[in-house]
Amino acid sequence: MSTSAITNTSASSKISVRGLRKSFGSNEVLKGLDVEISEGEVVCVIGPSGSGKSTFLRCLNKLDQHSAGTVIIDGFDLGDKTVDLNEVRQHIGMVFQHFNLFPHMTVLQNIMLAPVELKKESKADARATAVKLLDRVGLADKADARPAQLSGGQKQRVAIARSLAVNPDIMLFDEATSALDPEMVGEVLQVIRDLAAEGMTMVVVTHEMGFAREVADRVIFMADGVIVEEGTPAELFGNPQQERTQDFLSKVL
Amino acid sequence: MRKLNIFRAGKLTVAVTALLALAGGFVGVSAAAASQSAAHPVSAVSGETFVIGTDTTFAPFEYRKDGELTGIDMDLIREIAANQGFTVEIKSLGFDAALQALQSNQVDGVIAGMSITDERKLVFDFSDPYFDSGVQMAVAESNTAITGYADLAGETVVAKRGSEGETFAKSIADEYDFTVKSLADSATMYDDVKAGNSVAVFDDYPVLAYGINQNNGLKSVTEKEQGSSYGFAVNKGQNPELLAAFNAGLADLKSSGDYQSILDKYLEQPAPAAASGFFGLLTDSLPALMKGLGLTLLATGLSILIALVLGVLFGFFKVSESRLLRGLASIYVSIFRGTPLLVQAFFFYFGLPQLTGQSIDVLTAGVLTLSLNAGAYMTEIVRGGIQSVDPGQTEAGRSLGLSYVTTMRRVVLPQAVKIMTPSFINQFVMTLKDTSLLAVIGFAELTYQGQQIYASNFRTGETLLIVAALYFIVINLLTMLSNKLDKRFNK
Ligand SMILES: Nc1ncnc2c1ncn2[C@@H]1O[C@H](COP(=O)(O)OP(=O)(O)O)[C@@H](O)[C@H]1O
Ligand SMILES: [Mg+2]
Repeated sequence: MSTSAITNTSASSKISVRGLRKSFGSNEVLKGLDVEISEGEVVCVIGPSGSGKSTFLRCLNKLDQHSAGTVIIDGFDLGDKTVDLNEVRQHIGMVFQHFNLFPHMTVLQNIMLAPVELKKESKADARATAVKLLDRVGLADKADARPAQLSGGQKQRVAIARSLAVNPDIMLFDEATSALDPEMVGEVLQVIRDLAAEGMTMVVVTHEMGFAREVADRVIFMADGVIVEEGTPAELFGNPQQERTQDFLSKVL
Repeated sequence: MRKLNIFRAGKLTVAVTALLALAGGFVGVSAAAASQSAAHPVSAVSGETFVIGTDTTFAPFEYRKDGELTGIDMDLIREIAANQGFTVEIKSLGFDAALQALQSNQVDGVIAGMSITDERKLVFDFSDPYFDSGVQMAVAESNTAITGYADLAGETVVAKRGSEGETFAKSIADEYDFTVKSLADSATMYDDVKAGNSVAVFDDYPVLAYGINQNNGLKSVTEKEQGSSYGFAVNKGQNPELLAAFNAGLADLKSSGDYQSILDKYLEQPAPAAASGFFGLLTDSLPALMKGLGLTLLATGLSILIALVLGVLFGFFKVSESRLLRGLASIYVSIFRGTPLLVQAFFFYFGLPQLTGQSIDVLTAGVLTLSLNAGAYMTEIVRGGIQSVDPGQTEAGRSLGLSYVTTMRRVVLPQAVKIMTPSFINQFVMTLKDTSLLAVIGFAELTYQGQQIYASNFRTGETLLIVAALYFIVINLLTMLSNKLDKRFNK
């Protein structure tokens, strides 16, 4: 079963999700998702609140464990108990709605923690990498600041830099701009846009329809734990086939 | 170096005893047999050492004068020991506690102004009587209304729990229509009468006579009742040689006249000592109180350290994925939070030795009680601290590929410790105050020392003020210091 799942996966598939189900107690939140995402693809996930978007993302790095189906990331089957989860997670960075920066560390320490603890880099190398990453997100001058001293947009850019520090080839964004004041949304989207341009494989849960339309290769619309409709931005936004998609879009556009 | 030894497995008792000896404040007082060379026949117990339990506050039979245990019982047991060539180590435990210690073989004998009764004969073996006592009633000096039992109708009187005075008072309580309230020691009873909580006290006449002559504010109003006799006791069937030696020594002292001179020394009316002022009391009592304070701090320090280890261990159990570990921690916490500290102290000092047959010294029992008790509260502090850190922090750590342990160590704990520190300081202060409860098992900490002092000088209020002031000063100094450290390290 899982062997056939893997052989059916195209060679360039970074993420392969088959029949994914997830229940919290008796509450089934994901009701059988099938998603293939190939290398360099940018997939935006939209849908009403409570439809299971976050849970879907969290099943991709096993912050939540799926109840049924298979999830294969970079060839690692997350359902396989012998798979080193910590190793897999270094392939797949995650950015949260509420940043989750470590408040007791400086910006630089936040970014250096994982590479140093995972012994990927020496302290000096990790520092150099961190400075480079900070420069890349436009915050080179904030290296020694504490998270509490930063604006929301700056915090989120640091969080992105922190995820990038372990050199992932997949990035997950869970409403990365939803907690931000409107004037800061742009600076964070710009960083994500740059990553897309560099060819990073990404799954982006977002409420920013304009951004999805511009950046996504594919848009998935979820409701009530199922994928209702998916397609290119032009298809999904321009000519939605399902009534629920039309309904949702008419409310948010 | 010394501190390290304490934690070496199996050496706790030894180290603790050594520390106690260093602190110099332990209740045990050894009386060496000085006149062993005297021309007495060598008895079966010659050269042996016996642990003798006694009351804390039964003047003139046992009380402290300038920090030393003294009184009729003390002189008698020491002179008999010298006469018979054995050594005694005296433990001043309190009356009830001494009897329990004897039953659990924590001590070899008890001499505590104890009446020989048929009930007690069921569990103890008694020596020949060494003193004929009798119950007498006393009232406050200013009380002119009560001159005999007939005036007690509708009133409350006090007597010492488990004493002959209590038995007698209860035997006539119905006839004269009064209520008997039982208290644990003489000083408390006298204060109760002086404070007007009860109108009269029934106590053994030598005790009353001694107190009255120490200006305790009471007067006796009845003749002494025909009473029973005091005896020295060993546990039933245990230490028959010790009992025989006591009887032999007592007979010797009686025939030599030494026995009578001991009685005269305490029961002759002494001239009332002029009460020194408050500062006199302060300077007289401070050395003993400081010893007590030292032991208070020692017990607190040891207990808090152990409690911290227990708290961290069980705190992690509480937040772990394993239901078994969580259950274990929950049981531990609910046992120690769900029972009174006093009961725990009694259990570890008296109950455990009876169950295991292994005797336990008072500091070990005290530290065991306090650390297990504080450990339960620490567990909840640690659990609360860890759980109050935003779960998003763990998720961020884990999503970076960090292990559970690394995430805990580098991300969660540094934040949790900051949250927990004020509660730790609070628990530290609570434990320091809780050491005072160990007075009941005879641990010679600050409160115990205070009780010893007012038991012999009857200046309860002033002595307790000094004791309270010492606690207050130490606790506030330590709290200030802790807060400073907290600010410094948990910016
Ligand atoms: N840890 C959890 N325990 C129980 N229910 C959860 C948990 N996480 C999410 N849910 C439920 O799953 C459903 C989908 O949640 P979520 O994935 O956060 O939706 P979305 O991100 O689309 O708003 C919601 O009904 C939510 O209450
Ligand atoms: Mg969500």
